[in-house]
Amino acid sequence: MVPEMVHYAPFIGGDRMLEAVRPWLSASAVVLGLLLAAPATSLAADPQKVLRIAFEVAETGFDPAKVTDNYSNQVTQVVFERLLSYDYLARPMKLVPGAAEALPDVTDNGKTYLFRLRKGIYFQPDPAFKGARRELTVADYAYSIKRFVDPANRSPWRFLVDGKIVGLDDVAKRAAQSKRFDYDAKVAGLEIVDRYTLRIRLNQSDYNFAYIMAMPAMSALAREVIEAYPDDSNAHPVGTGPYMLKSWTRKARIVLEANPDYREVIWDFVVSNDPRDQAAVAAMKGKRIPQIGRVEISVIEEEQSRWLAFQRGEIDFIDRFGSFAPIAIPDNKLSPDLAARGITWDRSVEPEITYYFFNMKDPVVGGYSKEKLALRRAMILAYDTAEEIRVIRKNQAIEDQMPVPAGVVGHDPAYRSIIRHDPQLANQLLDYYGYKKGSDGYRNDPSGKPFTIVLTSEPQATSREYDELWRKALDGIGLRFETRKSPFSDNIKAAEACQLAMWGSAWAADYPDGENFMQLLYGPNSHQSNHGCYESAAFDEMYVRMKNMPDSPERDRLFLLMSRQMEVDGAWKLGVSRYRNVLVYPQVKGYRYHPINTAVWEYLDIDPAARRQ
Amino acid sequence: MYGYIIRRLWQMIPTLLGVILLVFLLFNWVGGDPAYVLAGKISSAEQIENIRRQLGVDQPYYVQLWIFVKQVLTADFGASWSTNEPVSHIMTTRLGPSLTVLIPYLILSTLVAMGLALAVAYVRGSLTDRAVMIVCTVGLSISILVYIIVFQYVFAYKLGWFPVQGWSDSFGQNLVVYGSLPIIILLVVSIAPDLRLFRTFVLDEINHDYVRTARAKGVSENRIMWVHVLRNASIPIITHVMAQVPGLLIGAFLVERFFSIPGIGREVILAVERSDFPVIKAITVYVAVATMVFTLLADLMYKAVDPRVQLK
Repeated sequence: MVPEMVHYAPFIGGDRMLEAVRPWLSASAVVLGLLLAAPATSLAADPQKVLRIAFEVAETGFDPAKVTDNYSNQVTQVVFERLLSYDYLARPMKLVPGAAEALPDVTDNGKTYLFRLRKGIYFQPDPAFKGARRELTVADYAYSIKRFVDPANRSPWRFLVDGKIVGLDDVAKRAAQSKRFDYDAKVAGLEIVDRYTLRIRLNQSDYNFAYIMAMPAMSALAREVIEAYPDDSNAHPVGTGPYMLKSWTRKARIVLEANPDYREVIWDFVVSNDPRDQAAVAAMKGKRIPQIGRVEISVIEEEQSRWLAFQRGEIDFIDRFGSFAPIAIPDNKLSPDLAARGITWDRSVEPEITYYFFNMKDPVVGGYSKEKLALRRAMILAYDTAEEIRVIRKNQAIEDQMPVPAGVVGHDPAYRSIIRHDPQLANQLLDYYGYKKGSDGYRNDPSGKPFTIVLTSEPQATSREYDELWRKALDGIGLRFETRKSPFSDNIKAAEACQLAMWGSAWAADYPDGENFMQLLYGPNSHQSNHGCYESAAFDEMYVRMKNMPDSPERDRLFLLMSRQMEVDGAWKLGVSRYRNVLVYPQVKGYRYHPINTAVWEYLDIDPAARRQ
Repeated sequence: MYGYIIRRLWQMIPTLLGVILLVFLLFNWVGGDPAYVLAGKISSAEQIENIRRQLGVDQPYYVQLWIFVKQVLTADFGASWSTNEPVSHIMTTRLGPSLTVLIPYLILSTLVAMGLALAVAYVRGSLTDRAVMIVCTVGLSISILVYIIVFQYVFAYKLGWFPVQGWSDSFGQNLVVYGSLPIIILLVVSIAPDLRLFRTFVLDEINHDYVRTARAKGVSENRIMWVHVLRNASIPIITHVMAQVPGLLIGAFLVERFFSIPGIGREVILAVERSDFPVIKAITVYVAVATMVFTLLADLMYKAVDPRVQLK
């Protein structure tokens, strides 16, 4: 099922506005005069309203095709526009039109997407346009998609379109041979029907393609701008979004200002039963987006510095304060001190998972024989995720039951893993399958040979904490254990070569569909994202069926079956999904954390009086 | 003198070649393959190869080493692998904030430590001298991280005398408002070791015959300490200070991180975290060159301070 827009009116166009004031026009010429005299920006962003926030990691740049880090993406989210976006409040998350007039027409069993662009959207001014006003057209989207496969861009988002769009790979192949990408070459799958209509044809059915079109990477860029700054597109974000880059001190400070040419969008999201949603609606409904005229972002890497800056009111909200969580939210309740200051607490579960994979090709932990399954099952049983949550994560995470996290299509809150923490059962399992203890107290394999479980991790303090939990778990069941330390880049290289026996990893949703997570276990994705090189004919068959199916109860059932298959095979030790805790000062109105579109600044307002208090 | 300078400059070449070789070997040994980091969440072998080709890490080692040598000779280290920002731009824009903090700190630290060293050396063996040395020993044994955390909490957060963190576009504001607390912390951290060291230099001089002679001639104690003793003690002090100057190029990364100072120290850490070899190469080479140049300058200053010194 293609996601539908419901309960959402993001745009009140000029005609509707006119309709609204028509009775007034006829009633009084004076009122008419007043209405006409009122500045067009009377409801628009106020430059005096400044939102101050902190990034915990430095951004890398603002070219959507080139940056992957969350912080750069937050900026590109508000500077550029996608054809599709997400409803700010709807949970589960729902797609809504962004720069498109409506959600796409999906035909041909999910192989053809027809997008219609709103008219009259203009790029922010830039010298690249030579003084002319530049309207956004679908050709900009087609151009931006082509940029992913231009080898010169070495785009980390290439996987989003690789092998998907009819004819695009051929252009990429020609570019690889000729060392020059021909942006004027026709791509059959990117058909520009007219200035405002784009038809995208896919090689295979993909009902998630609409989600992909809502990702920050799918923002529209103007070709003139990219060609004007070919070597530094990261520093020249020129989009059509609600904010534009005013100044940038790299890795230190980013200042955004409201885009005065931003199309008229009115804050009009449907309220749910959640009181936090109700407060946001009460504060924001009917206001023009954006209200805040200036967003000042400081890069504050150290947790103490961020926490103290928040406490001193130097930033308006804080969303990363891990080691201060016991102070801020003791016993998972907002501290009375913060509550007395009017600070509110917004908690969500991140659409992410952590996991340790077992390499199915590893001579020690890999393979599908009963003995190997028992070994992996015993290790999973021995590891205490509850202790990880309590000790390392300060109770700021929940244990995952299935590879699809909460808030993502395919997740079933009723699903329970069949493997619980049970070291006693783990020992019995190993005993039963012939892993007898030797004279040194450690177990040998069923043939009597000693073996060692090797966990690879990074040479960082946080990794050591997890290593020690594993050591404790495996010591408890008599398995020899050692860790090998190497840099992340080496580890990922080895993982893609199916050379790591065990490695801890994490995956955050690119889009809220379980397919985005299950692909980590799909056999043909070995040597890419399937680092455990897990190959199960049963799993793969279900994955392919699920992938080619629109959202439906049958598809949901496949997610459950795939989860169970993964558990039975002991492919992963599934970990946790972290809480996202956000503390918000009372001057910030309308805040709700959005798990995918994390830059929600355009939906907020600032109350200067509350700030002064 | 000129012959000496030319000879020393000439000697820098093999040293620099050694630095280049060492940096190159270390990065290729422990640095990891940047292509896998830059390729994103899901990548194909073809993409990895494309990135490696563009970065030049697919070339034979001798070719990569030669490119490195050419970069050093032309002072053009290309662009950062992670952000595509020219390395020259990184160096020029990040050095200013670091120096805004580190130059005042170095000057103040040297002057304060010298003044205190003269004072405690003058009362050597007294209760004051011993108390100061005990305080210095305690101070030495505390990590800079503790100073930063405590000072930031107490003076910035609790007392509100300084901002918790931040940086602006104004040099004056940065120096007076944002840089004050970092400078104070660096001062507190460095005073203890510098004071102990400088006190030793001064004590060595105080026991010499020329001091006794000056006293016998009726020269005032102030003149003896500030003119005669200090001048003779200044040679090892110059050595010590000059040795610190190249360190300014790598900033004070802990202070910069905690106080959000966009300096070169943070850049070094980020470059290491992101396997950003062009930035690591540039900073290492610049620090090596600065170390050699300032060592030479220190030698020349010996001659200026003490004409008896012969430069050979």
